[in-house]
Parts: sequence; C-alpha cells; structure tokens
Amino acid sequence: MARVELRHLGKSYPGVRALDDVDLAIESGELFTLLGPSGCGKTTLLRTVAGFNHQDSGEVWVAGKRIDDMPAHRRDIGMVFQDYAIFPHLTVGDNVAFGLRNRNRPRQEIAERVARALELVRLGGHSARLPHQLSGGQQQRVGLARAIVIEPQILLMDEPLSNLDAKLRIELRDDIRDLQRSLGITTIYVTHDQEEALVISDRICVMQGGRVHQVGTPWQVYAQPSTLFVASFVGAMNVVADLPIGAGGTLAVGAVPRLVPALAGRDRVTLAIRLEDMTVAGPADAVPPGALALDGAVDKVTFAGREAFYRVRLDEGAQILAHVHRPERQLLEQAGARVRLILPVAHLHMFDPASGRRIAGAP
Amino acid sequence: MSLRWRPDFWSGVLVGALAVVAVLMVWPLYNIFAASVIDNRSGALTIANFAQILGRPAYQGAVINSLIVGAGGMLGATLLGIPLAVLTTRYVIVGRDLLSTLAVLALVSPPFIGAYAWIMMLGSNGWMRGLFTDAGIELPPIYGMFGILLVFSLKFYPFVFLLTASGLGAISPSVEEAAESLGAGPWRRFFKVTLPLVFPAVSSGALLAFVLSIADFGTPSIVGGKVRLLATTAFDLFTAEMGGNPGLASATSVVLIAISMAVVLLQRWAVRRRDIAGSLIRRPSPKRLRPLAAAAAHCVCYAIVLAGSLPSLVIVFTSFRKTSGPVFHPGFGLDSYSRILGEVPQVIANSFTFATAAVVLIVIVGTLIGYILARRDTVAVGALDSMLLVPYIVPGVVMGLAFVVTFNVPPLQITGTATIIVLMLFIRRLPYAVRSCAAILKQIKSGIEEAAIILGASPGRAFLKVTLPLMLPGVVAGALMSFITAINELSSSLILYVGRTMTMPVRIYLSVLDGQFGTASALSTILLAATGLAVFVVFRISDRKEDAFV
Repeated sequence: MARVELRHLGKSYPGVRALDDVDLAIESGELFTLLGPSGCGKTTLLRTVAGFNHQDSGEVWVAGKRIDDMPAHRRDIGMVFQDYAIFPHLTVGDNVAFGLRNRNRPRQEIAERVARALELVRLGGHSARLPHQLSGGQQQRVGLARAIVIEPQILLMDEPLSNLDAKLRIELRDDIRDLQRSLGITTIYVTHDQEEALVISDRICVMQGGRVHQVGTPWQVYAQPSTLFVASFVGAMNVVADLPIGAGGTLAVGAVPRLVPALAGRDRVTLAIRLEDMTVAGPADAVPPGALALDGAVDKVTFAGREAFYRVRLDEGAQILAHVHRPERQLLEQAGARVRLILPVAHLHMFDPASGRRIAGAP
Repeated sequence: MSLRWRPDFWSGVLVGALAVVAVLMVWPLYNIFAASVIDNRSGALTIANFAQILGRPAYQGAVINSLIVGAGGMLGATLLGIPLAVLTTRYVIVGRDLLSTLAVLALVSPPFIGAYAWIMMLGSNGWMRGLFTDAGIELPPIYGMFGILLVFSLKFYPFVFLLTASGLGAISPSVEEAAESLGAGPWRRFFKVTLPLVFPAVSSGALLAFVLSIADFGTPSIVGGKVRLLATTAFDLFTAEMGGNPGLASATSVVLIAISMAVVLLQRWAVRRRDIAGSLIRRPSPKRLRPLAAAAAHCVCYAIVLAGSLPSLVIVFTSFRKTSGPVFHPGFGLDSYSRILGEVPQVIANSFTFATAAVVLIVIVGTLIGYILARRDTVAVGALDSMLLVPYIVPGVVMGLAFVVTFNVPPLQITGTATIIVLMLFIRRLPYAVRSCAAILKQIKSGIEEAAIILGASPGRAFLKVTLPLMLPGVVAGALMSFITAINELSSSLILYVGRTMTMPVRIYLSVLDGQFGTASALSTILLAATGLAVFVVFRISDRKEDAFV
C-alpha cells in the first residue's frame, strides 16, 4: 500500500519519444489504468516503474521514497505479465514461493502464504502441478498469486488478459478487480482495451505518443473526453471534423441553425457525439428545441441482437453511425430510407480542430 | 533492460569474448591476408600471388575445379535431398524415422570415411566394381572428379533433406489446397507454390553443401586422383618439402574464402524478403499413395538413404575382417583392433581428450556469448555477432594455416602443442554453439527472467535459478554436437598435428594413404561409434529433432 508519484518522466528511443514529460500521482490503494494504443508509451512507463527501463529524465517515487536508481530486484514490486512468464520448470507452488524464497522467509511461513495465495486465486490444490498442465487462464492466476504473495508495495499488471479468450477475460477481470479491492494494493494496470479499462479502473490515464491526454475516472474519460483523441479512442464516437462557426457562435449545420454561446469568437469546431446520444427520427419530424437535425439516408443496417446500428449517409456527404436501442423488426428493414438524426446540443462534444482540445460540451 | 551502459558481469563477458575472437580468429586470418599480398622475400606489397593463381593454368584449374566441385556437390545433394524430403513429408513412407536417423548418421560421420569406403567398393580392386565387371558393366574410374562428386552428393544430401523436410512441415496444407481449388494441378502446385515457399530452406541446405564441398580436404586428396582443388593446393603449397610457399598458399586460401563468401552472399540475396512465416493452424498430414506409386516411392527413399549409409556399413564390416598388415584374409577377426590398440593408443586418447577439452571451452564460452547475443543489443554485440559468422566460411585448411603462421612465433608460440589443436577446435565450432544457445534463449521469453527479478532475485540468481535450468537440455545437445564435429575434424588437425598430438582422423587419413584399410576401418569404427552414441543421446534429450543437426 503506497502512493506512487511519477515526476516529469521522459524517455526517448532512437526516433521515438516514448515518454514525454509524464507527471502522475497514483493514490494508495487505487487501481490506476494506463490506456492507449500500442506504442503510446504505457508499457514503457510500466517498465520504468518496475525498473526494467531507465528513464532519461524525471523521478519515480513510491511511498515517499525515490526508487529509480534501485535495481529492479530490490524494488518490492509485484508484476503480472502479458505472456504469464510462469517458470515452466517449477511447479505451481514453487512458482508462487519464488519471491518469498528470495526474501529468505522461513519455510513454514512460505508454505502457509503460498497456500493462502493459491486459495485466493482459486487454485487451491494445484500446488504440485507443472505449468504446462494448466490452461492459460489458470497460468495467469498463478502469475497473479505469485505477484501478490510477496505483499508488494505496488502491483503492476502488463496487459494481463490480452492472451486469454473473451469469456475467460471477463471472468479473470472481475477476479482481479475483487482481489485488488480486498487487498487494497496500489495497482498500475496497462491495457489497450478501452472497455476493460472502463470496467476495472478507479482512474484511467489515456496516453498517446508518449503523452498523457487525460487522467480521470472512467465516467470522466467516457463522458467528458478532454481531447479528440480520448473521445475517439474510448467508446465509439461520431466525428464531424472542422466545421465553420457563424456569427456569435452559430452552428449552421443540418436543418436548423443553433446558437452555442461557448463557441462565440471561434471560427471552426470539430463536433463529436456518442452513438447512443442521437435519436433517429422520421424524415420530416419536428426538431426539438436545443438540438441539431441532420438529414440523410440509411446506408446500411447492422443487427446485433439487443441493439442495432444504422449507418447514415448525410446529405452533406459525411457518414454517421447511430445506435438503435431495442430494435424492432420494421426498423431493420430501413435500408435506403430517408431519416432525420436528432443531435441534442447538450450531448455534443466540441473540440478545437487545430489542437484537438476540448472546448465545451456535455457536462 | 536499460540502454544505459552500466559495467556489470555481462559487459565483462562481452569484452572477454571480443578478446578471444580477436586473438583466435581475427589475428590469424589477418596474417593470412597479409601474407597473401606480401612478397615472400622482399616483404613488399604485391599482387603477384593472386596474379599467379589467376594466370597460371595449374592454379586456374584449381579454381575452376573447386567451383565444379562446389556446384556439383550442391547439385547432387539437392537432387537427392529434395525428392527424399518431399516423399517423406507428403506421403506415408514406412520407416520414416529410420530414414532420417540414417541420414543424420551419414551427415555426422566424417567425410573422408566416405571417400575411402567408396575406394574399397569402386576402386581399381573394389568388390563392387568386381561385381559390375563380372556382369559385363565397365564403371568409370572412381579416382577423379566422379569420385569426389559421388562422395559429396551422398555426404551432403542430408543437409538439403533435413532442412527442406522441416521447411515443408511448416507449410500450412491450406495453402496447397487453396492452390488446388484455384485450378493448379499437382506439378504446377509443387513448382509454383510449394517450392517457392521452401526455397529458403532448400537454398540454405544447398549453400551448406557448396561451402563444405569446396572446403573439404580429406575427400579430394583421398579419392581425387589428379584433380587439383584450392583446398588441396593450399595444403600442398604450404607443406611442400622445399620450404613451401606461404605467400601463394595464403593467396589460395583467400581465393577460397572469397568464393565461400560470394556464395553465402548470393544465397542471402536470393532469399531476401523471403522469410515467409505463415501461421500454422493445421499441420500437414502425409497422404497415402496407391500401391504401385508407394512401392516406387519407398524404393527411391531407401535407395538414397542406403547409398548414403553404405560407406559406414562397409567400414564397420571391414574393421572386423581378418588381416595381417595391409592384406585382408577371408573370415573375421579383431586383428585390426588389436593392431590399433597396440600401435596407436595415444591417438585414440588424444582424440577424446582434445574433443572433450574443446567442448568444455565451447560450452562455457558459447553459453555466455549466446546469452549476450540473445539478450543485449548494442553495437559491440552486433560486431561480435557478425565476427562469429566468419568461421562458417573459412575452410579448416585455411584456419589451420592461419594458426600455424600466427602461433609459430612469440608472443604465443604454441605450435606442436595440444593447446593449439584444442584452441583450433574451439574457435572453429564456437559459432555453432553460440548460435544454438542464442536460439534457445530467444525461445525463453525475457519476461521469465524479468519475473524472477521483480520477485527479488538478483540478475545473477535469476540466470542460475530460471534461465540456466531452462537452457540446459539445449546446451547439452549443443555440446554433444560440438563433440561430434570436434572429434571428426581432419583438415585443420592435419596441418597442426605433430607426432604426439596426432588424432584419429589424421591417423585414418595417413593409414588410407598407406593402404592400411584395416586399421583405418577400426579407427573409423571407433569414431562412428562415439558419434552414433552422441547422436542417440541428442535424440533422447531433444525429442528427436533431426534439424538440430544442420
């Protein structure tokens, strides 16, 4: 249990800025996720905390102690690896005991703690097995037990679920969350899967190109993305890029122009809206106050069981994806039909086209 | 790991490795290059040696003959190896494991054994020639180009066979089925899809056959008759009774290296952008042939493999024949063995001692260097990696000459000692051990070591507790393979040996030249037995991977 501070970390590889002034504080007991596409710097950051990389500049502090010149094996950190990294020549029990033996704990204590850790990850009774006798999900549970049994100050998880199939991933994801909560261990979790990040995290840090785009709760990251990149990386988002703004902040798109005071004084804006924040109306339906109306024709209907999606080609040319909740049969036969998309201004996310930063939008 | 350079244990290893390679490889080869461009008497720079090689018909002939031998050995090995690989991987062949075991045994047995076994069969008094003559067929004389190419084709086909077979095993059957569904018939499918996909494997086997053919010294000097090759010319020039001609011998060596290097580069160029790693979801399964075709396929496979193994069988058989001196008598006995035990016990002991000493060195140094190569990525490591490619293309004769030239004078005057032979075996085989060790390590994900370190094990402890146990089977297999090649080494030992450091291959070679086929066979049988035992153990510990031998 420890607070982690990463102060102005910088790291370059030839031709790549892997970490660009990353400055973060992770609270004690928090599950903090680094989210981003591959190459965004999240793994570099995690490995810097672990001590497998060394930063070019900046400092790593854990529980009030600066650790970045400490070799990895003295850092007292637990780590779970993407490819499990289970020692294939050791039994499950010996794998879990490995860290305790390095710490020269008494034999009796090791046996007890290993047994308890294996119980925690629901692998009690598997102690004598060899790793190749276990499934991928079980191997990763061993990895988890091996990391927590040493009761480290912090726990690092490097895409621990990405080698598992969908069903196991959800199961283990929930187990990790429950275990982390009950142990109260400060955890830094790396993933490129935005849904996994939303489900598991206390807070999420969205990264791209070595830079931090946003740090916030899952709700903040989803509902108030602070950059266009976050908006489009987390969840599905329709983007209408680089529109002109009329006098006093008038948005003159679609059937009805609307005045958006927050846009006053600007000339261009990029709009974004969640699929589920729009409604699909008939072609000549009245436009409710405070909403934009975009007219177009349904290009394609995709049915996915409890929901469906319309791909609408707007008369202006852009393509928009709209979400249809609880689709009914007749709604599935709409291909080619004229529709009017209703976009409540309150649900619009607005970004500066040049910088990609949020100007205004959904509260 | 960190890109920052922090001096640690592995940095020390790197410096040591570079020093070893510099002293045992770069320096000797530099001396050969220097000698090739310096006039023997005046000490001035000269291209006279190269001008002679390229200008004088006798030496021109050696260049041309070497190229013929290389190309012919390669072609023969390919023509035998590809059909065998295709038949055994694509169709049900009874005794497939036996075939590949025999191929491996043919591969690891020393080439000069093949040469003199064929003389015993097809030489002027050979029994097989006798059978043919009785049947009214006059065979071409074995001495000369025909004999060399026969021996090399049968000796080196396993490279092509084993590499191609493993290449074929890695092609998804779906690819061939896709070609079939798109209307390609069996031949078209083979030439347009299958062969291009295994081309990298075929060509590396062919490359090995070429390079080893032109490097081999024992075979052409035993069976070559009057055919002069670069390897034999270099040897003769150096050891000629009238003081020899080191400048010309060195220039000949340089030409030999240049040819090998050209062929290696040619192969690399030919397979550029050809590293096609497909995803293998389904393994190909062998098809059953119709009875007539099956019988033909079995005949082809067994004929190739038995022809390759025939020399070894003949040798073993001969070693148990009754002899007195060089003369064979009807019946069997242990005369040859009692003769070698009485006359040359030292030679047998030398062979085992030198090979074992070299293997110990190879394993220790090779494992350490392999680790750096697999886990560190710096300029110095890259340099070491490319330097370790050199022994692949430097023939034993050349390396032997380079050692004599370099270590004949202070500061390191060790010619005539056992040390120089062990060091030679060590440096010639080190790259193979390094490479196999690096390959094993690359399969052990570095995450495993990081997991050990993050759990509190120091880097040294992580290596001992986790990495080393995982590497061990591979290291042992690599050590046995080094042992096999070390104990069978002829060409460089022939240049470096003195009376008391004579080894079995050297003694066999000299016995063959003397016509002492009985003792040669008995010594060869001991070599074959040691080699076969090592192969057996490798099979046991590495779940029989034939391609581990190429």
